Amino acid sequence: MIDYLTLTVVMIGATALLLPLLQVIKGRSENLPGYVLAVVLAASMVLLGLFTLNPSSVSWAGSLLIPDQLGGIFALVTVGVTLAVTVASFDFEKSTSNPVYYSLLAFTALGMVLLAYSEDLLMLFVAWELMSLPTYVLAGFDKKLRSNEASVKYAIIGAMSSAVILYAISLAYGLTGSTQISVVAMRFAALLSTSSQSTALASVSILLFVAGFGFKMSIVPFHMWIPDAYEGAPTTISTILAAATKKAGFIAAIRVLLAITTFYALTHSPLFTLANVFAVLAVLTMTVGNISALTQKSMTRLLAYSSIAQAGYMLIGFVAFSNAPGSAAASLGLTGTVFHVLNHAVMKGVAFLAAALVLLQLRRADLGAYDGLGKRMPITAFTLAVAFLGLAGVPPLSGFWSKLLLVLSVAYGPYGWVALVAILNSAFSLGYYAWIIKRMYIDEGESPEKVKEPIWFVVVFAVMVGLIIGIGLFPQQVINFVSGAVNSFAG
Amino acid sequence: MNSLGDFVIVSAMLFGIGVYGLVTKRNALRLLFAVELMINAANLNFVAFGQYLPFEGGAQTAAPNALGQTFVLFSIALAAAEAAVILAIVVVAYRLHKDVDVSELKSMEG
Repeated sequence: MIDYLTLTVVMIGATALLLPLLQVIKGRSENLPGYVLAVVLAASMVLLGLFTLNPSSVSWAGSLLIPDQLGGIFALVTVGVTLAVTVASFDFEKSTSNPVYYSLLAFTALGMVLLAYSEDLLMLFVAWELMSLPTYVLAGFDKKLRSNEASVKYAIIGAMSSAVILYAISLAYGLTGSTQISVVAMRFAALLSTSSQSTALASVSILLFVAGFGFKMSIVPFHMWIPDAYEGAPTTISTILAAATKKAGFIAAIRVLLAITTFYALTHSPLFTLANVFAVLAVLTMTVGNISALTQKSMTRLLAYSSIAQAGYMLIGFVAFSNAPGSAAASLGLTGTVFHVLNHAVMKGVAFLAAALVLLQLRRADLGAYDGLGKRMPITAFTLAVAFLGLAGVPPLSGFWSKLLLVLSVAYGPYGWVALVAILNSAFSLGYYAWIIKRMYIDEGESPEKVKEPIWFVVVFAVMVGLIIGIGLFPQQVINFVSGAVNSFAG
Repeated sequence: MNSLGDFVIVSAMLFGIGVYGLVTKRNALRLLFAVELMINAANLNFVAFGQYLPFEGGAQTAAPNALGQTFVLFSIALAAAEAAVILAIVVVAYRLHKDVDVSELKSMEG
């Protein structure tokens, strides 16, 4: 009996390969490739859901893949975002309706599913590239000035981050003779007790991992490409970058860095520990993201900086975990990170898609286009308002609960200051979120006429707003499930 | 040149040259060269470690560790794919700008 994960991988992979052929057989029919991909991705979500509830071993993968629930959550989130983007693209990419666009989306989704389950650095690297390469092309899909500029910057920075990860893997392999993550982590721990030279090399390897993953996770100071890439790329692709590939960066970091933390402190010195590194990065990322977001004049750029700030909140879980691996706070922190990844994917995804619809219908991306939007596009404006309140962490929306978990996980330890900075940042970020909501509902727009809101966009908005409010009202079940997955990973 | 340390030092130098190129150069093709240097530095590491660190599963074995050589084959193939994609993007940039200088790419600021 073939397992569901294999079935999913084969299904998405075959779709990705065969979609361009569809054009040859059927001629250039409008949106057909998109419909096919949406059906396939929806079916994959069902299969992945079944697989996550009841993980079984994957026989062909050996030790390359680890079919645990943590990977399942990330696979579901990333495929879900890809599905939302595909459905939104029915209207957004209607003018081109190029099957290659949907084929590349499928390849990215496949890379993210494999990455979520990777347990070997070789598999992780191949999946990382499979996820990244199609997004370089997609970012430049418009072949216009800005889109191309975004894709040049993104592709070069992305290639550099892969090179850095590759170098880190080569050092880890040289020191341990293995590429299996659990073995690498165990032998790194053994190194600490022996020669100091290898310890230094191991620290270099770990820091290179932090930098390489940090580029995808949009951690300050590795964030400089984010605003340009998100603004220039087609907005549907910015959604993929912010809500899906970034989350895939997080699962890679959780798998590699947190496995190593369990056994390893960077050096014998109490100051230079992995927990301190993460704490400094988290505080920098939150603060820089929020302050830069405040002065933006374009919606996609504002969302890009807010996405950087949210990555800072997610890093808090890493601080709690690497500070005291195995403790209750560690488990709480990682639960908070995974829960916030899930919530942020929904909230940021829907916010970017709303921005995509405004761009599509009004041909404008600057904040002036949002004046009086509450009267012109009521559904879009409501969606944006809910997403923004969720991102700011207003109860009882889903973003509040995950931020609460993250803050609680570090509040009562040596990293209480990180919790304090997170709370201050959260309050500060409400400044620009509430300002946009005010512009949409109170300010007068330049013309009061109604604008059409296409049905597929409305469907996506309804589902995702439902998730934000639903998880916010009933967080207990989701938190229990996530913490179960985290405990089986960490324990 | 026949000890592991020499290979690691050469590889570290290659990596350093790559980083230097990325920081100082402004031509998109040169940036691609720099990235390729970094990737090949890692490849050199893999081959050298595979040859000189013959242990698998913790026990010393006579044969070289084949994992490093395997990894290099994957990474060369992926580097080729990456170069193809980036060159295609740079070709489009050249058509739009008649130049491949990345410091010219600043239509978005803020």
